[in-house]
Amino acid sequence: MDSPLLRRLRRDLFATPLDGLISIVLVVALAASAAGLLHWALVQAQWAVIQANSTLFAVGRYPLDQQWRLWLLTILLAAATGLSWGLLRALPRPDRPARLWPFNDRLAAVLLAGLALGLPLLLRLGTAIQLRWWVITALLLLARWAAGRWGRRIPDPVRRWIPLIWPLLYLLGMVLISGGLGLVNVSPSEWGGLLLTLLEASFAILLCFPLGVLLALGRRSALPLLRWGAVLYIEFIRGAPLITLLFLGQNILGFLLPGGLAPERVWRAAWVLTFFAAAYVAEAVRSGLAAVPLGQLEAARSLGLAMPQALIHVVLPQALRVALPATVGQFITLLQDTTLLSLIGLLDLLGTARTVMANPAFLGKNAEVYLVLAVLFWGCCAALGLGSRALETRLNTHSTAKA
Amino acid sequence: MIEARGVEKWYPNGFHALRGVDLTVEQGEVVVIMGPSGSGKSTFLRTFNALEDFQKGAITVDGITLSDDLRHIDAIRREVGMVFQQFNLFPHLTVLENLTLAPVLVRKLPKAEVQRRALDLLERVGIAEQAHKYPGQLSGGQQQRVAIARSLCMEPRILLFDEPTSALDPEMVQEVLEVMQGLARDGMTMVVVTHEVRFARQVAHRVVLMDAGVVVESAPPEQFFANPQHERSRQFLSQIS
Repeated sequence: MDSPLLRRLRRDLFATPLDGLISIVLVVALAASAAGLLHWALVQAQWAVIQANSTLFAVGRYPLDQQWRLWLLTILLAAATGLSWGLLRALPRPDRPARLWPFNDRLAAVLLAGLALGLPLLLRLGTAIQLRWWVITALLLLARWAAGRWGRRIPDPVRRWIPLIWPLLYLLGMVLISGGLGLVNVSPSEWGGLLLTLLEASFAILLCFPLGVLLALGRRSALPLLRWGAVLYIEFIRGAPLITLLFLGQNILGFLLPGGLAPERVWRAAWVLTFFAAAYVAEAVRSGLAAVPLGQLEAARSLGLAMPQALIHVVLPQALRVALPATVGQFITLLQDTTLLSLIGLLDLLGTARTVMANPAFLGKNAEVYLVLAVLFWGCCAALGLGSRALETRLNTHSTAKA
Repeated sequence: MIEARGVEKWYPNGFHALRGVDLTVEQGEVVVIMGPSGSGKSTFLRTFNALEDFQKGAITVDGITLSDDLRHIDAIRREVGMVFQQFNLFPHLTVLENLTLAPVLVRKLPKAEVQRRALDLLERVGIAEQAHKYPGQLSGGQQQRVAIARSLCMEPRILLFDEPTSALDPEMVQEVLEVMQGLARDGMTMVVVTHEVRFARQVAHRVVLMDAGVVVESAPPEQFFANPQHERSRQFLSQIS
């Protein structure tokens, strides 16, 4: 009766009578709620509302005969993800040990495989769609394995260009989604569900970051006009609720941006999200800039670096590293803020859910719909968080000691 | 090499930090500036490469007159290296990258050539084996030697030292002073703000005492330490010895 496990349990959970009481109460409460949830999910809940509308939740009213383009994009994304993930492990920084399959990676791989096998089954999606998800997940894991196994053999000049697949893929994805280059145009008003949510969020995340960095630099600039402009912008945006800006944007953005840049409501909303998030990213970056000692800039300038060179090579790399967690926090908030788009009449995930729940055939199935929504959002945010943590560890090689 | 005439500086809060400072530094000369804290010696040193501005007077460095013209400032900074009290190494770059950054970006030299030169310089300051470590992994004395090598990698004509040993543990001071002594022997023009009397005695060609924003006395070290001419100098020397 004195195994290490038992001893550890006793130390962690039952060290004192009070600890023991707290542990027992918590375990009972957790078990009760888990049992309740499971009972509801497996017995009472009627997932028919999700099965019948799964396509709607995923892509909105995207034309059926064009949906192969989205599958193709998903396949490419899975392959690129697997490739990047594997290379990240195969090519560690020179000063840290190489571990091809750390525990977290194994866990992630098992989770992914489990989700791919279990989720379509649970939702009783059609066999064809189930099969596609299995193939896509298998492709991701295969790419991960292959890149990890042979990543070192890729010659250096090729390797340096590999990160470029991501911006290229983004542009290609835009073409695949909206049409052009010989593909039939699909109007943005037909995009919806998770597709629209991810599109709006990724567009805003990608653009708000450089914009936010520029604003933060502007706010610390020695030029008064630039400084006051940045301050005015940041404080105005941070002082206004996003929803008012979204409504405002639908009305006036057409006048503010050069013709043709924001013709569609979807794009107008994307620009508002971008401008909104940029102000918050600017504040995160500003705190990062403040954390870099003045001596760094002085040293760079005394070596003859011009101001832009000093910023790009010395100040920003350190500032952005400090600002990274807060910035990713902003990205996660931004992703969740996309639900507000449903209030200006766009059919993002929440907007789609509202139309589904308004359908008399699925009356009273709110709990099922909201739970799926919550899980989907949690999944996206968790992915963002994991990615940022991986980036942080990779960037933090030097911070073991102060300099 | 450096010619400062009647330099006056007011801080934005109205403090009159420099009250008409004159100083001439010849090529190959090693000038040590001493003085109590708050005397303006670091501020004065930092005007030479325009890290501090000044309101009156004139400074000419290596034939270039300091003015608001940014091109002049950039030109001077290319030729004048500076070593700081807090080292100010770039913590996100390796030691080698710290050295090569400026020559590659500013002088547009080929990377391979700069790396060769950087490794030679690290050898010279005695830390070639640390080239691929990050500054945070080195001791204070090693960091300051890297900082000196980083300045040298730009092949400056003048080196400024702003209390280079004040932030070091006592047992690391010597290794840094030895590197500086070697530079002086090789004929580098140096202006050093320091409290190290022994360094001033052994290496300096001239010792300058500043107090309250003016130069009190300027003399060769033998004369300055043995037979100071001014009451303020005697007072200062009695306090530090």
